Amino acid sequence: MFLSRIVLRDLDSIDSPAASMASSKKLVTRDEWERKLRDVKIRKEDMNRLVMNFLVTEGFVDAADKFRVESGTQPDIDLATITDRMEVKRAVQSGNVQEAIEKINDLNPTILDTNPQLYFHLQQQKLIELIRAGKINEALEFAQEELAPRGEENQVFLEEIEKTVALLVFEDIKNCPYGELLDVSQRLKTASEVNAAILTSQSHEKDPKLPSLLKMLIWTQNQLDEKAAYPRINNFSTAALEDPAI
Amino acid sequence: MPATASGGARPEEAAASASPPSPTASYCMGTRPEELTARLAAAAGGRPVGGGGGGRGGGGGGGEEEGEHERVRTLREIKNQIIGNRTKKLQYLRLGAVPAVVAALAGPGASPAALVQAAAAAGSFACGVDDGVRAVLAAGAVAHLTRLLAHPDEKVVDASARALRMIYQSKLAPKFDVNNNEKNMEFLLTLLNSENENVTELAANIISHSCDSTTEQLALCAAGVPQRLVNHFGGSMNLRDACLDSLTAIIRNNWEVASRFALLDHGKALRSIVALIHDRSPRTRLLACLCLIALSHASPCHFQDRQIKTKLILVLLELIEEPGHVGDDAPLALTTLIKDSVELQKQALSTNAVQKLSNHLIANSLESRRAVTILLALAELCSKLEESRSQLMSVQASTLILDALKHASVDIRVAACSCLKNISRSSKVLSAGKLSCDTFIAPLVQLLYDSSMSVQVAALGAICNIAVNLTPRKSILLQSGAISQLVHLSKSMDPTLRLKAVWALRNIMFLLNPKDKDFILKELTLSTLSSLICDSEHFVQEQTLALVHNLVDGYVNSFNYVIGEDGMILNAISRQLNNAPAPGVCIQGMFVLANVAAGGELNKEAVMNILVPRRADRVKQSFIVNFLLSKDKQLRVATLWCVLNLIYPKCEASSVRVVRLQNAGVISQVKGMINDPCLDCKLRVRMVLEHCLDNADDGFM
Repeated sequence: MFLSRIVLRDLDSIDSPAASMASSKKLVTRDEWERKLRDVKIRKEDMNRLVMNFLVTEGFVDAADKFRVESGTQPDIDLATITDRMEVKRAVQSGNVQEAIEKINDLNPTILDTNPQLYFHLQQQKLIELIRAGKINEALEFAQEELAPRGEENQVFLEEIEKTVALLVFEDIKNCPYGELLDVSQRLKTASEVNAAILTSQSHEKDPKLPSLLKMLIWTQNQLDEKAAYPRINNFSTAALEDPAI
Repeated sequence: MPATASGGARPEEAAASASPPSPTASYCMGTRPEELTARLAAAAGGRPVGGGGGGRGGGGGGGEEEGEHERVRTLREIKNQIIGNRTKKLQYLRLGAVPAVVAALAGPGASPAALVQAAAAAGSFACGVDDGVRAVLAAGAVAHLTRLLAHPDEKVVDASARALRMIYQSKLAPKFDVNNNEKNMEFLLTLLNSENENVTELAANIISHSCDSTTEQLALCAAGVPQRLVNHFGGSMNLRDACLDSLTAIIRNNWEVASRFALLDHGKALRSIVALIHDRSPRTRLLACLCLIALSHASPCHFQDRQIKTKLILVLLELIEEPGHVGDDAPLALTTLIKDSVELQKQALSTNAVQKLSNHLIANSLESRRAVTILLALAELCSKLEESRSQLMSVQASTLILDALKHASVDIRVAACSCLKNISRSSKVLSAGKLSCDTFIAPLVQLLYDSSMSVQVAALGAICNIAVNLTPRKSILLQSGAISQLVHLSKSMDPTLRLKAVWALRNIMFLLNPKDKDFILKELTLSTLSSLICDSEHFVQEQTLALVHNLVDGYVNSFNYVIGEDGMILNAISRQLNNAPAPGVCIQGMFVLANVAAGGELNKEAVMNILVPRRADRVKQSFIVNFLLSKDKQLRVATLWCVLNLIYPKCEASSVRVVRLQNAGVISQVKGMINDPCLDCKLRVRMVLEHCLDNADDGFM
């Protein structure tokens, strides 16, 4: 939060002269800009907490542990729980859905009971994996016994089931209309849904803060573009300031 | 019976009996519900037997351990099958698995691993399936799980607390009595003070579930529970949310608790909740809003800060954009906040509430619970404010309401009708004729045939209002086929449907032209009308009499209906008035008689015969004298109007009636009312007495 506030404050200070000059944009030189940036004090601990928040939320447990030792920043969650969460995530990513379900239930049995959509998506993923493995009979039986009742309870689920079962009809399933279900991205989608649900059950925010700060930076620069020419950050991986085009 | 032997035999039996339909191996390798249930029951029942028969030296101990291991595996398998899966839960319920699962919680020597699995399974059975909750409760799970909260193994405590939380989420779970049971209160406080957040959260859930009487709220307040709950705001997000929810339960509708809370810790507790309406978590923001709404309703004097209420409106309007329950419930919270308050509705309107809500509806499909709650919030916004109504009647939004009227979901149809009902309170909208066109009338009338009664009732509400001011355009309603269905509904078994149907007919009848009145009466028939006058419910009787009142109002020929057919209608009215029913019925009945008495001699005589029967039972006083003595001024006015119409104009017949009324003690009663506190009554009394004098003068000349 604080980062955006700082940027906005800067925007305020150059806002008024720009407004008085009506149409022409205010030009901020690199020196001026860097001086302003130097005036902004960001506490190191806050930066560290942001990094830790990212590592914890994304599940980089080893990195989080090293970072904890090196920076002295305490994570807001027991690092052991990250390992469990990552195991679940990995299980989904490698197609072992049943294993993932059992691990989630061991972690906290209320997650899947109170989150029908997630449970359904895991079941759907299980069906996709059966189809991928060519276990057609098993897939059909599973769809009938496990998925069909979910479809009766929920119209949206029913449509999803229909799409998934449609995979069985095509010979070349990779290139059929719903082929994307077999894509790795589908596994990743389910895995990230699982990750978010576990985090929520642990009272942790499901998204890391850094990406939203980055989004805010982009938004703020866009706003600023209308009012001023200034050294912009265009390459976010280097965060290098680029001289304003005059 | 050693578990291994039976375990070995079963798959073969299963394979033999089920070989044709089940070709896959995985389904008969001991994971079928029937097998698991049988194995669990055998383990539960078989333990003592196995102990007695286990005299095979050292093998007994090993078998025991193996048996326990087997039991954990069985319980875990059952748990993993039922979690999230309604069908499986029902299947296991039918097989009677729940008592065996709960029995696993009871064993004194049960391993922590078995307890954790059994608790999780029991909790899952109690989630989402009512029969499951009943079975878990009947098996005595609550007592076992509560006892296990003191177990030395933290994992067992966690699992038990979670399972209990699932159970207490259900309305079927028993209330936790803190009012008459000191031990319970003490226990609850211990839970609240626990280091384990799962346990504290359970305590908060128990309070939310159980606290619903004023005395319970006061008891919890006296025990310092609100302060403890606020202290937990610093804990995890889930705990904080649970605490906010239970705080709302303690405060709701309780002035004393709410005002004490407002002053708690010099207002610091209250400020901490106000701060939470800007929390990062949307769910927390919603719960904090709900808590503040409960506070402001329970104790308005401690909550006069207008700014906070404006903030609440803004926060709630923002929350509508959130996914899931939060966004679904935000409009409901907004509805509760602005209910019955013109001021807050104005504030909401000034923050563009109507536009924001309807934009959300337009941008998203009607396929969700959120559409229902948003429509209900819009209906509330239109309950009082003209501006809201005209905004909602903008082209786009009104098309949306039309779609909602035809939607497949019952709740959406009901909500759309509520919107229309409240919009049609506006005489501006009505006189502009925006609603009284075929576009709206046709689908509304269609809803009178709906298979859901709540939709029918809601549609009747809207039609009632639209009918009031439809004067020049009533033909649309008459041509729409509404009348025959209204008549049909007026004969419904359900009193609410009868009431609303008659009400709608009453409003349609209001100031209707004679031709159309005849049309309605032909559909309705006199016999239905007279049986509705004698309906079992007095509110139906009242509306029916009001309908007759509108029928005979200013339409001479319609008197024939009332006194025709052997006076069927008048007889029914007479019967009701003599039974001295509810005041509303008497008032409407007297207005009918007053209107009838305004007609010719025949009419007046008919009314006279009801008021003062010729072969009167001398012992019983006429009901009209009692009506004049009534505390209800409207009833006195109606009765006086009736008397007045009977003795007007000055003529011989009127003089005769004066004498009859005098003999019945009516006139002397009127004389006693010369100083009636109600001005209207006083005026009518004077008019009656003047006419009596005039008629008497004639008589003496």
